[in-house]
Amino acid sequence: MTKSDISGVCSPEQAVSTAATKVSRRSFLATAAAGAALSMPAVRRAVADEKVLYVNTWGGAWEESAKEALFTPFTRDTGIEIRTVAPVSFAKLAAQVRTGVYEFDVTTLGVAELGRANQAKLIAAPEKSILDPAKLWPGAVVLDGVASHAFGNVMAFRNEKFPAPGLQSWADFWDVQKFPGSRCLQRYAGRVIPIALLADGVAPDKLFPMDLDRAFKSLDRIKPYIRVWWSQGPQSQQLLRDGEVDAIGMWNTQVQRLVEAKAPITVSWNQAVVDVAYWAVARGTPRSENAWRFVNYAVQPEPLAKFSVKNDYGPMNPEAFKFIPEDKAKQLPTWPENFKNSIVLDPAKMLPQIDEFSKRFDQWIAS
Amino acid sequence: MGSSVSRLLRGPAVLYLPAALFLLVFFLVPLFNVAWMSFTEPDTGFGNYTAFFASSFDVGVLLNTFKTAAIVTLISLIFAYPVAYVAARYGGALGSILLLVVTLSFWTSFLVRTYAWMVILGVKGPITAALIMLGWSPPPQILFTTFASTFAMTHLLMPFMILTLYAVMRRIDGTYMRAAAGLGARPLKAFTSIYLPLSLPGIANGSVLVFITCLGFYVTPVLLGSPRDKMIAGRIGDEIEQMLNFGGASAMAIVLLVATLGLFALYSRFFGLDKLWR
Repeated sequence: MTKSDISGVCSPEQAVSTAATKVSRRSFLATAAAGAALSMPAVRRAVADEKVLYVNTWGGAWEESAKEALFTPFTRDTGIEIRTVAPVSFAKLAAQVRTGVYEFDVTTLGVAELGRANQAKLIAAPEKSILDPAKLWPGAVVLDGVASHAFGNVMAFRNEKFPAPGLQSWADFWDVQKFPGSRCLQRYAGRVIPIALLADGVAPDKLFPMDLDRAFKSLDRIKPYIRVWWSQGPQSQQLLRDGEVDAIGMWNTQVQRLVEAKAPITVSWNQAVVDVAYWAVARGTPRSENAWRFVNYAVQPEPLAKFSVKNDYGPMNPEAFKFIPEDKAKQLPTWPENFKNSIVLDPAKMLPQIDEFSKRFDQWIAS
Repeated sequence: MGSSVSRLLRGPAVLYLPAALFLLVFFLVPLFNVAWMSFTEPDTGFGNYTAFFASSFDVGVLLNTFKTAAIVTLISLIFAYPVAYVAARYGGALGSILLLVVTLSFWTSFLVRTYAWMVILGVKGPITAALIMLGWSPPPQILFTTFASTFAMTHLLMPFMILTLYAVMRRIDGTYMRAAAGLGARPLKAFTSIYLPLSLPGIANGSVLVFITCLGFYVTPVLLGSPRDKMIAGRIGDEIEQMLNFGGASAMAIVLLVATLGLFALYSRFFGLDKLWR
């Protein structure tokens, strides 16, 4: 953010026009073209049979555990070197398919992004010879994305504010008469709108297609009590830890750090809205064979279990639980006990409404 | 190449060349690309622009961006002027310390300083604690308000203002003020008729610098402000990262650029842009 915030400091038009008018136009253009060509190596022109794969990662802890559980073992077994590009950028995925210059071959997409990426033809269909959807578990491949790990949007609250049993459902979260206190939700339409519908009493199996008018009416009710809409994972953790807010909807992965630090909070898994991360391969990348080999490897039970446990994600491959001790498994979103009370977001069902609800939410929140 | 070029290559103008090439490749070409996309994605025409101006929300965000930048610029100027004045006029140990403190803040990133304000202005922060101690109960909410984000942006940008003002003020000859005093002018009169006009280029420079930088602010209003404090850079980011709407985002960027240039044209008309480079 620092870079973008301080860009535009100088007034470069001035300098260029001065020089450009003094140098003859042709020589100037020729030199400029040469300069442009020389400056390009920063972006890699893809070469087909490299023993290398570029993975777009979230950086930080995510990348560290991916390196340990997925990248290093994969390289050891296949000899394909993995280089990482961070952070995950949906816009970059679109840009590279558009320009044909590939900065990364594999990325992860959330539910909302997967639908969009598939619609915009940014990602490739699985190469069946390497990754056959029929050989994975049922529902493993959706819209060309391969389900990897899940995170829950769970409810957490401060014990001193809401003594046991505290908030039990999103309806309780909305009930500021019975449970007075400040609230906080993520500034992210794809998760908040389903939550608003659940709070208004919509049955989980009747969620889609979403009744947006009803959702926004429900959101209107809670809005005055939302002290802040969080936008960064660590921010949600800080808000709850410091008592800045009393009840919050946040990721299980973030709240787990507070649980481990014995913070005086309670996490409720009831009606968790579960988002799934899917592996996706950039359409048209010349390294797609390596890419699919990697994706196939990353969703196998053992490596996936290792990766998930590190960050408290829920593995989407049910077999992975064979490699996870039960006391740990109980804290993960896809553990059957947690999963059965959860609502799993479905990219195919969300896709038709996504433009409308994103736009409406942006305007609603600023009004 | 003609002889005029070879003559030019030996002249001082050649010093412009590296910078000009750099700007051409990394600024003008991408800028042209953005302008091009705004007219061609997804359809050719003015669709992205009509959509922008038809949306009272987007226009509101743009206006709010300019309003915020203007307020931040004005407040920075008011607070920065005395600091730069003391540093430039009295110099010595005090001046050095002042400048050191100002420069030090450049060593910490905008993001870290923004997070620091979250802690300081928060419910468990020292400000709220002080207000409670003074008997203000319940204490007012400071964090997540327009005040908090404006305040933090002013803090982040004030060093630019101070240093720019200082650079100009240091060149103002102190003997003018003594001469004015010798001729019987009171300090205030001497200041308003001599020092202030001489420091105008610094005011113009610093204001332009702070104003433009502020237009591009993105994370600070999101983290510290209320949802109403949306700035245009945030909207552009959303359009690209969430909606994959390259055309719409490009149109917003171009509108921002044109509006900014338009504002400068006005500024130049009334105050003279030449002050910037004097």
